[in-house]
Amino acid sequence: MSAMTRELFFFLRLRSGIAALALLLLLGLGGVASGLLETQRQHDAIARMQPLQASDVSAISAWVSRSGDPGNAAYYTFHATWNPPSDLAFAALGLGDVAPSILRVRALGLEAQLYEGDIVNPEVAMPGRFDFAFVLIYVAPLFVILLLHDLFSAEREAGRLGVLRSTPQATARLWAPRIAVRLAGLLVALALPFLLGAFIAGTPGWKTVAVLGLIAAYLAFWALLSLAVARLGTTSIGNGMTLAALWLVLALVAPSLAHVAINTAVPLRQGAELSLLQRNAVHRAWDIPKTATMDPFFQSHPEWAGTAPVTAPFHWKWYFAFHQVGDESVATLAQQYRDGILERSRLAERLGLILPTVGVQLALHRLAETDPRAQLAYQDRIRAFHKRLRTFYYPYIFNELPFGMEDFDKAPRYAPETKQP
Amino acid sequence: MAEPSADVLLQVNDLRVSYGDRVVLDGLSLSVRKAEIYGLLGGNGAGKSTALQALLGLLKPQSGSIDIAGVDPRDRPDLARERIAYIPENVALYDHLSAKENVSYFLSLSGGSRTTAELEAAFGAVGLARDAWGQRVAGFSKGMRQKTAIAIAILRRAPVLLMDEPTSGLDPGAAADFNALCGRLRGEGAAILVVSHDLLGVVDLADRIGFLDQGRIVAEVSAKGPERFDLRALHDRFARARPA
Repeated sequence: MSAMTRELFFFLRLRSGIAALALLLLLGLGGVASGLLETQRQHDAIARMQPLQASDVSAISAWVSRSGDPGNAAYYTFHATWNPPSDLAFAALGLGDVAPSILRVRALGLEAQLYEGDIVNPEVAMPGRFDFAFVLIYVAPLFVILLLHDLFSAEREAGRLGVLRSTPQATARLWAPRIAVRLAGLLVALALPFLLGAFIAGTPGWKTVAVLGLIAAYLAFWALLSLAVARLGTTSIGNGMTLAALWLVLALVAPSLAHVAINTAVPLRQGAELSLLQRNAVHRAWDIPKTATMDPFFQSHPEWAGTAPVTAPFHWKWYFAFHQVGDESVATLAQQYRDGILERSRLAERLGLILPTVGVQLALHRLAETDPRAQLAYQDRIRAFHKRLRTFYYPYIFNELPFGMEDFDKAPRYAPETKQP
Repeated sequence: MAEPSADVLLQVNDLRVSYGDRVVLDGLSLSVRKAEIYGLLGGNGAGKSTALQALLGLLKPQSGSIDIAGVDPRDRPDLARERIAYIPENVALYDHLSAKENVSYFLSLSGGSRTTAELEAAFGAVGLARDAWGQRVAGFSKGMRQKTAIAIAILRRAPVLLMDEPTSGLDPGAAADFNALCGRLRGEGAAILVVSHDLLGVVDLADRIGFLDQGRIVAEVSAKGPERFDLRALHDRFARARPA
């Protein structure tokens, strides 16, 4: 009987150990199931949106084509953008469940439309979702502690340590295989649910291997910590309490304090605040002379300066111009907001180098494309698409060209990054 | 210094161990021959546990030498441990395993394996009731645990056995069984070192007794042939030998 087989048999007879692994396996399955349900909900929402979008555009086009007014077309037509969850998002939902996966935009001011998502579902944003990442980052260390904290002390307390230490080659024949079997059990209990989820979600091989590597590395960190305490400590209760305290500090207290420190170091206006500023700038335009809007607009967009002047009390040229001027009035703030988010991400990544709990979480969210960088990338795609919308509508509006049924088909179509399985 | 002999399986010469200023073993010397039971008798703090730890290679003495069946545990602790079977005072087995599983487990830890027939023969030899072989040891008495531990020692075929307070806590019947079992092991050629503070228990078991006090043997007596130790004389001799 090899040492590994012997320790495997030994562990399989240990009811408490098997119960612990079974519980971890169930929690892992729960986390994966929760993540798969959420990502499926997002996929379903995107799928449901497509025919509704077509139906909406169809209804608007039928109404607008009667007048041929391009302003009506640009004002009333929503254009769908969407950000399908990645093939790994099920494992680490990150911002995926609070940031919008669908955003329908119009050719109006963009900033106010972009941050509507920031105020969605705050009750979910606070505690975070129960997903595989949660099980790995916060729950799994407790099971590592549970299985390793009393490795030596339990033998001492039972009176077996003397006999075991007097065993020839005790490290190679006993302790190493015993630790390896327990760690292998933990790895299997975490890897199985993840692999099942990865198979269902169609996660590519390299990402699967990367996550398995993260799981192994994270378990190894907690195992080393547990073994160090188990080696130095004398009683099982003492070891357990020491490790529980370390878990509290490393998993909860230190990341929370660091989060506060980062937010203090990099103060950031909320997206909703940007929306408000942009809306104020837009609404102010109704109360000021039209030239106060059109002059700066023509300065930044001279290509429309030669078009017919606005003389009527209301004209779509003026309306879309003050929306654009509104966007431009908060452009610096929007850039600062974006830079601030990136700076916070960079600081968090640096923190991740010394705090494994943070590091593994960030790595998982990066791989799953559910981190702030991925959200900014989606915003960038929306901005680019919105720019195409303005470029498409403005010639009709500023040149006062009729907008017919066939023109709706010429409107830009959003194309997401291909992430779906 | 003890006389070297081809029959000697356990030889300790002038062993010294101290913790800071406190000397725990102060020139301990003893030898145990093949087919001999040696009782190392001493009170609390005499150095019994330290001597055992040194023999098991769990601590390194400052000076002196140990030879276990031709191996110095300081140089080759693992090989020395293979030649020793250690039976602690309170035999702690794994309660979630049966007696047979415990024996297989500890044998495997020592790098050995035996057939089921050999296991059963060992259980038979130590007198463990047949219906207990497959039972979890959680409900075993101290005597049954000791028999299981001795079965492990028999199956390991180690030439040297170290026993720490083996009869402590055993009822008279179980102690007599244990002594008879040790006698059989001695008959098979084992060198047995019994460490105890119990004069009465050692007298019934040992061929020679070394009195350990303040880390060294202060007196040694032997019982050869049919004669047994005179308990009162032994006690008096030990008391006289102790430094004032």
